Amino acid sequence: MIELENIEKIYRSEGVSTPVLKGVSFRVEAGEYVAVMGPSGSGKTTLMNILGCLDTPTGGRYLLDEIDMVKLDDDELSRVRNRKIGFVFQLFYLLERATTLKNVMLPLIYAEEYPADAEQRARNSLLEVGLGERMNYHPNTLSGGEQQRVAIARALINDPAIILADEPTGNLDSRSGIEVLSVFKRLHRQGRTIVVVTHDRFVAEHAGRIIQLKDGVVTEDKAVAEPRDPEAELQDPERREVAQ
Amino acid sequence: MRALGVAAEGLSALGARKLRAFFMMAGTIVGIAALVVIMAVGKGTERKVMKRVNNWGPRAIMLISGGGKDLPPPDMTVTTLTLEDADAVREEVDDLELVSPMVWKLYTTIKHEAAQLRSVVWGVEPNWHRAYDWYVSYGEGITAEDVATLSRVCLIGRTVREELFGEEDPLGKRIYLNNVGLVVKGVLEERGTSPGGGDFDNKLVLPITTAMRRVLNVDYLGAVRLITAKPSLLSRQAEDIRELIHNRHHITPPQEDDFRIITPLIIAGMARGISRTLYILLLVLACLSLIVGGVVMMNILLVSVGARTAEIGLRRSLGATRTDIFLQFLTESLSVTLLGMLLGCLLGWTVCLVLANTTQISLVLSWQPYAVSVVFALLIGTFFGVQPARLAARLHPVEALR
Repeated sequence: MIELENIEKIYRSEGVSTPVLKGVSFRVEAGEYVAVMGPSGSGKTTLMNILGCLDTPTGGRYLLDEIDMVKLDDDELSRVRNRKIGFVFQLFYLLERATTLKNVMLPLIYAEEYPADAEQRARNSLLEVGLGERMNYHPNTLSGGEQQRVAIARALINDPAIILADEPTGNLDSRSGIEVLSVFKRLHRQGRTIVVVTHDRFVAEHAGRIIQLKDGVVTEDKAVAEPRDPEAELQDPERREVAQ
Repeated sequence: MRALGVAAEGLSALGARKLRAFFMMAGTIVGIAALVVIMAVGKGTERKVMKRVNNWGPRAIMLISGGGKDLPPPDMTVTTLTLEDADAVREEVDDLELVSPMVWKLYTTIKHEAAQLRSVVWGVEPNWHRAYDWYVSYGEGITAEDVATLSRVCLIGRTVREELFGEEDPLGKRIYLNNVGLVVKGVLEERGTSPGGGDFDNKLVLPITTAMRRVLNVDYLGAVRLITAKPSLLSRQAEDIRELIHNRHHITPPQEDDFRIITPLIIAGMARGISRTLYILLLVLACLSLIVGGVVMMNILLVSVGARTAEIGLRRSLGATRTDIFLQFLTESLSVTLLGMLLGCLLGWTVCLVLANTTQISLVLSWQPYAVSVVFALLIGTFFGVQPARLAARLHPVEALR
C-alpha cells in the first residue's frame, strides 16, 4: 500500500542546505497499524508531511497504491489527500463556527462530486467514534478527547486508504488520550491502515509495529510483540501511569 | 457544485464574524449610498436643465438690449438696438431660419371699460408666432398686413382675458393702452408661469409697427429672437452676431456691451445651479470612498488570512486545492462588497426619498446608479479581494499547519 524508497528531504534556505530525511525506506501493508517514533528533530514530522502528500520529497520514490506521489502536481496531490488520506492532528483543527456534523462533512466539499448522502455518511462517521449524541454541538462545547474523536470522524468520512495521525494524544490528558487510542485500535480491527507519528513510546506501543527514526534515517523497524490494549488501560488506572 | 460548496464556505466565514463583516463593508455602504444620491441629484438637475432649455427653445438665440448677463426682459432704457441691427443680422449671419425683432414694455396699464390691469406688452412681427411656437387658441394672429398698416389690433393672454373680460367674449372688443384703442383679434395659447415666477399669460401682443409708432413712440428694439436652422452652428452664430453688433455699435472690448446674447447653453448653465465641476467632484469623492472602503476591506482580509492560516492548512490537508482556497477568500470579499452595495443602495434610496420630501432639490430615481453600483461592487470586491485570496492560496499546507 505504502512504499517509501530512499526518501530524501533537504531544506534549502539562503544557500544553506539542511538534510532532514537521508534515505528513508519502508513499506506499510494494507491493514497495518504502524507507529513512527522519534525524538524531535528526527524528521518524523517531515516524514508524515510527505506520507500525507502535504509535502514532496527532494529525492526517492513514494508509492501510494502503486502511484508515484513524487510525480504529481499540487492539484493532483490535493485530490489524493482528499480521497486517500485521513489526517488527525495534534491540535484537532476543528472549525469553531460549524457544528460537529458540519465539521465532519468538511472534506466532502472538496470531493470531486458532493455525495447525495453526505449527511448520512457524517452521522455514520460520528457513530463510529462514539459521538452519535454530539452531532449538533459546536466543538468548543466538547472535551478535548471528544474534539479529537470528531477529527477522527472527519478523517474517516471519505473512507481513506490510510489514517495519518500526528501526535494525536499530544494535547490530551491521559484518559482522553487512551480513549482516542482505543478508537484507533477499533478502526485497526476493522481493517483500516493507520500510521501514527509520535515521540511517545507509550502511544507507539499501541501499534503493531514501530519504526524508529533518528537524524533522518530509520534506526529500527520491528513488530511490537504484544501491543498495548487501551480497553484494559481504561479499566485499570495502574496501566495508565506509564502514559504520564 | 464543488465551486458552490467552496463559495458557501466563504460566506459562512463572513456570517461567523458579523461585526468584522460590517467594518469591511462600511466603506462600500457609504460610497454606494453617496453614488446613488449624487447620481439622483445629477439626473434631477439634468432633467430640470432639459425642461428649461425646451421652454427657452433649443434653437433660439436672443439678442437683447442692455448689457450684463441677465435673462430677458430687456432693459428698455437702452436705446441702441434697432431694426437696422436686426436686418443686418438677417443679411449677414447665415443659416438663420427666423429673425424676429420685438419691442417690450413691462407692466403697463391696459384698460377695458372699468377693468384695468398691469400687463407686459410686446410689439412683434408676424414671424413671432413661429419664433416662439406660440399661436392663438382663438381668433387670429398678427399678420404682415397688420404690421404694414400699423393696424390697431392686439392679441391677449389668458390672464388678460380673465381680468379684463371675465366671461365676456373678448374678440372685437377694445383695449386701451396709452390712450390708443386696440381691437382684440385673438387669444393666445396658455403658457403658464416662468421659472422665475412671472406669468407668461399676462401679456398683450400687438404689431411691432403699431407698438413703435402709435403706442410707445420708440425707434429702438427690446430684443431680437433668432431661430437657427443648424443647431450645431448655434454657438458660432451667437459669436458672429456679437461681432456684428460690436461693429455696428462701435464697441471694442473691454468696453462694455450695450446688449446681451442668450443661448440655450447659457440657459442650461443657469438652470444647472450646481456646476458640472462640483457634480463631478462629488462623484469622484463617492468613488474615493469606495476605494478607501476597498482598501480597508483588503487589510481586514489580509489580517484574517494571517489569523486563519491553520484553517487554510486544514482545508488544504482535507483536499482543497489552491484554487479552492482562492475562491473561498474571493467569495468572502465579493460578498462583502455586494452586500455592502445592497445596503448602500437601500441607504442611498432612503436619503433620496427624505431629500425629495423635505427639500427643493430636484431628484430623479433611476435604475442607472444601481447598475453602476453592481459593477463597482464587483470591481472593488475583485480588485481588493484578489490580493488576500492569492496570499491565502499561496500558503504552503505544511507552513500553514505549523
